[in-house]
Amino acid sequence: VNAIDHDSDLKVVGRRLPRVDAGERVTGRALYPADFSRPGMVHGRIKRSTQAHARILSIDTTRAAALKGVVAVVTAADFPEIPLGTTIPSGETGQDLWVASLINMARDKVLWIGQPVAAVAAVDPHVAARALDLIEVSYEPLPPVMSIDAALAPDAPVVHAHLITKGLDQAPRSASNVGARTLIARGDVAAALASAAAVAEQRVVVDTAHQGYLEPQAVVAEAEATGFVTVWASTQGAFQTEMLVAGLLGLSQSRLKVVPLEIGGGFGGKILTHPEPVAVKLAQKSGRPVKIVLSRDEVMIGTGPAAAARIDMRIGADREGRLVAIDGRYYLDSGGIPGTPTTLLMQASAAPYQCENLRLEGFDVVTNKPRTEAYRGPGGIQAAFAVEQAIDMLAQKLDMDPLELRRRNAAVTGSLMPIGTRFPTIGLTTILDRVAAHPCWTEPLAKGAFPRGRGLAVGYWRGTSMTSACHVTVTGDGRPMVTMGAVDLSGTRTTMAQVAAEEFGLSIDDVHVSMGDTKSAGYSDAAAGSRVGRTMAAAVSEACRTAIEQLKARAAERLQCAPAEVHYAAGVFGTSKPGGASITIGELMEATLTEGAIVARGVSTRLPLGVEIGAHVCDVEVDTDTGQVTILRYTAFQDVGRALNPTAVEGQIEGSVAQGLGWALTEGFDFDAQGRLRNASLLDYRMPTALDLPPIDCVIIETPVPDVPYGVRGVGEVPIVPPAAAVANAIARAIGVRMTHMPMTPERVLRALKGDAFGRLA
Amino acid sequence: MRSIVRCEINGEERELLAGGHETLLELLRDRAGLTGTKEGCSNGNCGSCTVLLDGAPVNACLVLAGEAAGARITTIEGVAQGGRLHPVQQAFIEHGGTQCGFCTPGLVLSAKALLDRAERPSEHEIRSAIAGNLCRCTGYDKVVEAVRAAASSMAAGRSNRERN
Repeated sequence: VNAIDHDSDLKVVGRRLPRVDAGERVTGRALYPADFSRPGMVHGRIKRSTQAHARILSIDTTRAAALKGVVAVVTAADFPEIPLGTTIPSGETGQDLWVASLINMARDKVLWIGQPVAAVAAVDPHVAARALDLIEVSYEPLPPVMSIDAALAPDAPVVHAHLITKGLDQAPRSASNVGARTLIARGDVAAALASAAAVAEQRVVVDTAHQGYLEPQAVVAEAEATGFVTVWASTQGAFQTEMLVAGLLGLSQSRLKVVPLEIGGGFGGKILTHPEPVAVKLAQKSGRPVKIVLSRDEVMIGTGPAAAARIDMRIGADREGRLVAIDGRYYLDSGGIPGTPTTLLMQASAAPYQCENLRLEGFDVVTNKPRTEAYRGPGGIQAAFAVEQAIDMLAQKLDMDPLELRRRNAAVTGSLMPIGTRFPTIGLTTILDRVAAHPCWTEPLAKGAFPRGRGLAVGYWRGTSMTSACHVTVTGDGRPMVTMGAVDLSGTRTTMAQVAAEEFGLSIDDVHVSMGDTKSAGYSDAAAGSRVGRTMAAAVSEACRTAIEQLKARAAERLQCAPAEVHYAAGVFGTSKPGGASITIGELMEATLTEGAIVARGVSTRLPLGVEIGAHVCDVEVDTDTGQVTILRYTAFQDVGRALNPTAVEGQIEGSVAQGLGWALTEGFDFDAQGRLRNASLLDYRMPTALDLPPIDCVIIETPVPDVPYGVRGVGEVPIVPPAAAVANAIARAIGVRMTHMPMTPERVLRALKGDAFGRLA
Repeated sequence: MRSIVRCEINGEERELLAGGHETLLELLRDRAGLTGTKEGCSNGNCGSCTVLLDGAPVNACLVLAGEAAGARITTIEGVAQGGRLHPVQQAFIEHGGTQCGFCTPGLVLSAKALLDRAERPSEHEIRSAIAGNLCRCTGYDKVVEAVRAAASSMAAGRSNRERN
């Protein structure tokens, strides 16, 4: 596919157009699974573990099954046992079906409070709730492991008896709570640190946080008498849901259709299945359509939050401020099931800078908490909280401007990435130049009632490409219709309508884009990893160009010339033949519709990466009496390659920053020693409100990615990476204290002021 | 124990059967079929179920169905009039005030309640009026922008009407 010249005269792409589906959203007509019903539908509820770590001795469902109104009861015994090591081909590395099976239903052992142990379907949700109380589960409690440190202790209870750490130089002889160790290393870190002019050393601890999508998981499932199953889902990937449900139930994918309805926020938390396989099993057993809608409490304890982390960083620089070594040790809390990948956050912590000597070592640690899942740039904010504070500390040690230190070391196009390959086109130095010239950096901080400080942090996110597919048909009046295999998580129907309109030279109102289901659209990977806009744009572009070629052949007949003599622009086919006629796309289709459908496919695989990079500047005021941190000003600079729709891009950046600031200041899971989540409500788990956030200024920079249609980069993930580090750096400049525990709650700020680096409450 | 709840929903007189334990949210979604009102937490913490009860914004999950008897209720389905979008809805569309859309019905009603009583709200008044509505997608800037734009267009509408 040819990249379009960045300076070319685009008419629809790049414009601030409203979302094509906004009307449904502001009138309440947008349909989410919780809003959807089927005739004869019953309601499912899930019984969840009350123990963080225990053996299941027995589950007695007799009384629940006998309750009037209950139509089906299921336990793990209703699902095939999935052997350890079973994977399905999805995404870059495949999905671990064994992990998904334990998220679906505990077997023999419960691994966290909130893990499903049984489920019922009943004529109404209240009867289903009563039935859950009648299910008797008998446990043999085991000691829970509630932190990374506790999991790593030499005498720690081992959560999975089979778990032999992968990736060590020598395979260990006994099981532990470490699933895998990953190493990225080059050069000689020890020697470089020994000879460095300055070394910054920092340990940070990050609490578990939740994606906080406003729509709790919801699903409707129906099994026909023929055995064919339909699932109406709120999912980031219809095909991923199909493969997981099929795998967990032993169904053929050909007997299963997943229909993606609207999704009320996902942020990584709606890639793996939660209530879907259970709803299907209940539907199969009862012969009735089943709806399951999770409560907020279930969302908090029973879905997959973001990983807690402990990171030890050492960074050395020479006298000129050139980084000589980055030494990081990363422990990620995987929750009750191993397998949380560490490589992406390890890369994120070192990628923005050129540095010859690297030693990045990651550990995937098992605890008795909910199994963690992806959350917007997974691991990025934890990594940046460690590394960007360490860089800031180096600047202070070397008495150097923190922006200048970063500029001296900034990765450039062609420099070596941590994984050893060369950087594709990036614009970090351009971004830093823009920061240096911007009032948010040049204007002095005004004095306030309390100390104020300004912080800078850089963020990197690799993103991914994987596969996206679509097809284009043309209506009898000449309007292109696009059907996508990927879910619209963040405005894809709008940006793809812009791409299709651009390709056809039509108005956005003349094209229509819809999400297909898994039986009407081609396989696409999940809407995750900042990939859909970029890759679907490539697929739509290809499909539109192919459709135009098909139309040209028809136009040639009408215009009595060779197809090669037909040219097309803005809805009109003409011929280069002297005195040739012309025909509009509408006239052409009206005349030729019954000669056969125009159907064109577009498939994008292995598109070059569109790495995301940004820099954030934040001003804070720290109330030294209460520890309260107020964000005074926030500016996010980001290279987006090309903004398909600047309003949508800003929306992604602003929302992503807001989530980062929430985690930075107030959001963190608070477990007691028995593994009970103490803040499982949206009152106690405190996400930012409109009063907690300042306006977030966005500075969009466009350095197009070569060989990618429209030069688009990923957008949505990287803006969550720098916020916590930017705030921490601002706090350090305000009150001279380094914050090492996130979220940086008022009590932790006060503790830090009193000299306890980890803000412990003891 | 079920009883009949008589109330006015979006300008229509309704008689709906509700259990004694049921909330206004259940009455609207499950009995009246008005699924535009969303359930995000059932605890009064997220504001996704905001509706207007006699003109005042309430969390429908915290109001018992029985308490709605005799009340005038406006849900998101009743904000547009005669097929014409309310200026708040129009502004949310034009200013990118809606993304995933799940919190949008509640935000639109909180914003409408504000603009029904305040002609030129300040940014702080706008942020206060929507502080009970959690939004996880937008970071609120474009919502605030939309409410400000709606206030302007409503003021322009008023002065046009006065001139005519």
